[in-house]
Amino acid sequence: MCDPQSRFVARARRRFAMTRECAALLPGVCAALADPRQPGLDDTCLEKLLDWFRSLTWFDPTVELVQDNPCLPELITSVLALPDPSPGILSFTLQLAGILASSESRFQHLQEEKLLGRLFGQEGPRGGAAWEEASVRSAWLKGVHSMLHHQPALPFLCSTGAMDVIFTLQGDPSLFVASAASQLLVHMLTFSLESETSKALSAKDCDWPVCAQMIVKHIQESLQSSSASHIEQSLKLLSSLFGSCFGSCYAAWTEVLWLDIAKQIESFLLEETVQAQPVLANLLLNVARSPVFCGTEGSFWALVTSALEHLTPVQAGPLAVGLLKLCKCPQDVRIQALTVLLQPMDCILRAASQPLECAGLLDESVSDPVAVESLLSSKTSCAGLLCQTLAHLEKLLSLKHLKVDLPCVSLLRSLMTILQFCNGFLSPTSPLGSTISRNLINCFRVQKSALDVLAALSEKKDCDTLIGSLFDVLLAYLQSPNSSPTVLKKTFQATSKWLVHLQELSSSNSQQQQTEKILEGVFLVLQKRLCSPCWEVRDSSLEFLTAMVKCLRDQKEFRQCLLSSEVLRLTENLLEDPESYVRASAVIAVGHLTLITCFAPESPATGSQYNKESIVAKLQEILSTDSEGFPRRAVISIFTKWLREGCTGRLEDTEQFVSRAIQTVEHDLDWEVRLGGLELVEVFCSQTICQLAQCPYAPVSSAVTSSTPQKELLQVFCRAKLFGFLFGSLCDCDKPVGQRACDVLVGLRGHFYPMSTLENPQEVEDSPAGRGIAWLQRTLRQGSLAQNFPTDGGDGVDFQDPESMMLALGAIDLLELHDELNKSSDHVEESPQSLLQDILATVGTIEDNEVDCY
Amino acid sequence: MFCWCFPGVSLVCILVSIAGKNVMLDCGMHMGYNDDRRFPDFSYITQNGRLTDFLDCVIISHFHLDHCGALPYFSEMVGYDGPIYMTHPTKAICPILLEDYRKITVDKKGETNFFTSQMIKDCMKKVVAVHLHQTVQVDEELEIKAYYAGHVLGAAMFQIRVGCESVVYTVTAWIDKCRPDLLITESTYATTIRDSKRCRERDFLKKVHETVERGGKVLIPVFALGRAQELCILLETFWERMNLKAPIYFSTGLTEKANHYYKLFITWTNQKIRKTFVQRNMFEFKHIKAFDRAFADNPGPMVVFATPGMLHAGQSLQIFRKWAGNEKNMVIMPGYCVQGTVGHKILSGQRKLEMEGRQILEVKMQVEYMSFSAHADAKGIMQLIRQAEPRNVLLVHGEAKKMEFLKQKIEQEFNVSCFMPANGETTTILTNPCIPVDISLGLLKRETAIGPAPDAKKPKLMHGSLLMKDNSFRLVSPEQALKELGLAEHQLRFTCRVHIQDPRKEHETGLRVYNHLKGAIQWWLHPPAGADVVQLEQGSWRRCSFL
Repeated sequence: MCDPQSRFVARARRRFAMTRECAALLPGVCAALADPRQPGLDDTCLEKLLDWFRSLTWFDPTVELVQDNPCLPELITSVLALPDPSPGILSFTLQLAGILASSESRFQHLQEEKLLGRLFGQEGPRGGAAWEEASVRSAWLKGVHSMLHHQPALPFLCSTGAMDVIFTLQGDPSLFVASAASQLLVHMLTFSLESETSKALSAKDCDWPVCAQMIVKHIQESLQSSSASHIEQSLKLLSSLFGSCFGSCYAAWTEVLWLDIAKQIESFLLEETVQAQPVLANLLLNVARSPVFCGTEGSFWALVTSALEHLTPVQAGPLAVGLLKLCKCPQDVRIQALTVLLQPMDCILRAASQPLECAGLLDESVSDPVAVESLLSSKTSCAGLLCQTLAHLEKLLSLKHLKVDLPCVSLLRSLMTILQFCNGFLSPTSPLGSTISRNLINCFRVQKSALDVLAALSEKKDCDTLIGSLFDVLLAYLQSPNSSPTVLKKTFQATSKWLVHLQELSSSNSQQQQTEKILEGVFLVLQKRLCSPCWEVRDSSLEFLTAMVKCLRDQKEFRQCLLSSEVLRLTENLLEDPESYVRASAVIAVGHLTLITCFAPESPATGSQYNKESIVAKLQEILSTDSEGFPRRAVISIFTKWLREGCTGRLEDTEQFVSRAIQTVEHDLDWEVRLGGLELVEVFCSQTICQLAQCPYAPVSSAVTSSTPQKELLQVFCRAKLFGFLFGSLCDCDKPVGQRACDVLVGLRGHFYPMSTLENPQEVEDSPAGRGIAWLQRTLRQGSLAQNFPTDGGDGVDFQDPESMMLALGAIDLLELHDELNKSSDHVEESPQSLLQDILATVGTIEDNEVDCY
Repeated sequence: MFCWCFPGVSLVCILVSIAGKNVMLDCGMHMGYNDDRRFPDFSYITQNGRLTDFLDCVIISHFHLDHCGALPYFSEMVGYDGPIYMTHPTKAICPILLEDYRKITVDKKGETNFFTSQMIKDCMKKVVAVHLHQTVQVDEELEIKAYYAGHVLGAAMFQIRVGCESVVYTVTAWIDKCRPDLLITESTYATTIRDSKRCRERDFLKKVHETVERGGKVLIPVFALGRAQELCILLETFWERMNLKAPIYFSTGLTEKANHYYKLFITWTNQKIRKTFVQRNMFEFKHIKAFDRAFADNPGPMVVFATPGMLHAGQSLQIFRKWAGNEKNMVIMPGYCVQGTVGHKILSGQRKLEMEGRQILEVKMQVEYMSFSAHADAKGIMQLIRQAEPRNVLLVHGEAKKMEFLKQKIEQEFNVSCFMPANGETTTILTNPCIPVDISLGLLKRETAIGPAPDAKKPKLMHGSLLMKDNSFRLVSPEQALKELGLAEHQLRFTCRVHIQDPRKEHETGLRVYNHLKGAIQWWLHPPAGADVVQLEQGSWRRCSFL
């Protein structure tokens, strides 16, 4: 048996192979492409054709591809012979040539035909008018990049002046071209090192391979040039280089290169002669990630430290957070990086405190705190700095192994202060504080970022002392009419996280009282928000309610507050909301609330409006009548949840419940509802098997139809009308439904028949016992995709007859069907043959077809 | 002002930097790919920092997927968390189309790296809906305003303004005279002058009628919303007028929702629909009924609208398979189909299709393509420029060759700069910002008193000291400036020493130089103070402060 990876490769190789049919179509396609009279093809087709060639050459590096298909080099020759080829076809040809030249044998072949020089050398398009087109320049770079997978390509490029072209394209007006040039240089340098045998190195005397030498020289010259754009390009290139496998795999070369440029980088940083600080920060971070420098003391880290001091807080932020994420980094640098990140939060705390209080977050700062203060004092930069800092802190809080301690309590205080500034609840007396509070009032951006961090902080310990005041802030936000729907959503998310934390704390009496008080406040405001005229708010409120029920349903205080509030009634009302999203969220919320109100062992009497029967009836009504898919999908998912949690009562009740649900969803227009129905059936089957079979997981030794539990099982499934739904779904016009139905049937068959019979299904003759099964077998064998099964009534198959169904399960080759369904229609759509046929057919058809929307 | 985009026929996503503010116009997806290439590569927008910090807002012009299809990916998967603006109808309709496409994509390709229903909902909850002509203040400096566009229901053109610089972005051929610094317009039909929409509608009705009359069935594959409703209205009215009996079915299951929105936003629909709506509710169809799968096998003529629009999955493909073999039947494709779909194959003339299981489906039914797209054609774009009178034009969403032709035409006819940036290319447009300056009343009075009486037709030159403080500019008298800034007046005297070789006596030489200079320059000239010194004085040199 092959391993899965080999199987995958073999399948892919078969899928992309040059079949006889493709080889027959290819010359026609090439001729059409080279014909200047033909209107331009859809770019997507050309891209897909290149994708195919890429896969083809990847699996087959031999020269046969070009030898057996001479139309390919002929296409290149024909395009080169055109006096004025269209940019589209020229770009295609450049990329195709690069892809074909990606193996050494084909490269040599194309060289012998003298094609590569005419495309990528001086006589190629790079001197002509077509070069004005960004798409041609980009294709030229992509072609070179594809070609660079073997040693002979390097001297070819170096000798044809390609290097200078690539250097120039780094500054191209098209961002895509400039970026491709930079990526190509990184690839070239790394590849040139890869292909040379390693040489002894010292910092002063090193022998770069020729191509690498050219690149390094170019970098050095650019860094010393007076042109700011050249310097910036080189810094970006260096940054990509250190961030690539060069930095991680070529330690010695990395060190040599760094030592070469370190002085220059330091001067840029300290003298600020070039305005490229963000690039410099990125460069330092990528160098820091290289194993050469990680964790060691030395001049590099001194430079990093100096960068943290010299860069502005906005520029230093990304560097600081990157350093804190490193596994190996000197601890003092880490602490300094954290200080940089915490400075704005410290400043906020100090600005909000009374003059005599010592309320800061940091003992000392890294750089001049005046810089942070001045940024926070300005209306335009205040929000930007805080949003950036908060985003970084959120990232840090999500890290599992942060190697410095975050001062969580002070951070929480600072966050609360920011949120209070934003909603105008805090007006500090200090001049800086009042300026910041003026800058932040009603600033949604900062509110959202602060609430995100607040939610992330709930995972941390030690913040318990502030929990009361924290909920004051959160409730103020939930109550405030000024809170925008997005801010409210984030407040709900933060509140639900902190409520979970609160639950973990409430062990003592006083804490229980506090919890009750907080929950009362939460439910009061939730009642109000469930009635909001804005659907976004109603929806977020329902999502919040569901999240609370999921986490807190076992907590006594929570249940008490919930049942004594109006929330249950309001949620039920929202089942009839005009907005379908809200109806769907209400279904989910009601479904979860029912777990407390109806299905819990100690379910309280909650009044007549919230009893089990009425809720089930309401949801069933939504499932059959709601005009939109979301609420119907929500109902079927809730039904499945109830079934999983064992809430549907005795087997007979459950049987009826499932039967009713699947009869409703069977004809639903939304395939995801039908899919949900199949999931319900799957859960029902496995639960029933567990209940009725003695040993559910033991394989059966032979066809055991006579044994009582098996018979009973079949009867239950037939009574619940599962089989009609399952076999009908095999022919569903939406593929995932058929696939899922087949999975369930394969599972059932595995239960009723020994595994060995799966691969050898029985041939069935029509008999009174299994009337129509032969027809069913034939229909499904012809391909489930004949898709006329459901409409003709099943040709007399009795889907409720246990014996017939037992026979059907044994007779139908479900594994083959499974394979057929899993192929999906991609088999047609993405096959190279289909693509070639489409291109040939498209050539010469009306152009207008291409230019409609959608 | 900078502007760069991911243009092409297939998707629109433009980044405009105007006076330091960054706005993304549309966030479309490319339906032709099912890998990363279907979405714009947002990493090019900024390499440093978060997108939320970099972008000030995103504006969506209308609900077509090539303009909004990447939005849930952008906001929920890439992580943009800032404001998104669109009109109320676009906000209502966008999720229906996104959901429709998601379902098809997931169904068809078993995709996992695609946005979910929950993501679409979360994205829509972040959207701020705007009214027409409502000025939305995104922040203190950036404001946007939507105008009726008429391209499709809810489409709007947006004016973006920062200070006195403005950009107008439109996908349609109708606009006010707003003289923006830059007009960004799509140019799909850059060189085409198309038949009138009425002609195409007549043609469509004729074809449907003929097929139904000869007992054939007509399949119209559509997306859930948009063109489907327009065609439904056409057929409904025609059936009513001709008293036709053949049934028309709509199979998407979304009819009610779609019609609900069309009713809700009736003021946004075209005049014809609005006018008819007064007499009868156009969306309560008498002839169009919900489709059931079993109906496809019914004998006799019928018309069925089914999704998806490209015939590559679901019900439309299922019906197509059943009807394809009968030459009496007809399929009308009202929209673009991407390569690989059955829709694309039959439109390109293929009549033998290999379906799953290597079965060959022979297509004998008639295949028609009808474009009802509401994009502006060449004539429309020229009209648009004539009306708006922009200082610069930027063409997007078109083919390079056609755009080049149109660019030349625009430059010749209107004498304005026209740009058509390539993928990822940045276009820089220089603007002449006029900066408002307040003038102190004292200075105004003093300056008015000097010189001739003010003439409304002639601009008057004013002299004073310019004070820049807290982002505002004031022109005040030098005295007032000194007072406000707490500065004392300084006088600077410039001297220079010149050595002259002259055989005459020093005094005579001095006098001669003095007399010469007196005739040559108008400045105040001190008489020779000493034997060898001539002093020239221009007057006092005042120090002006610009803070």
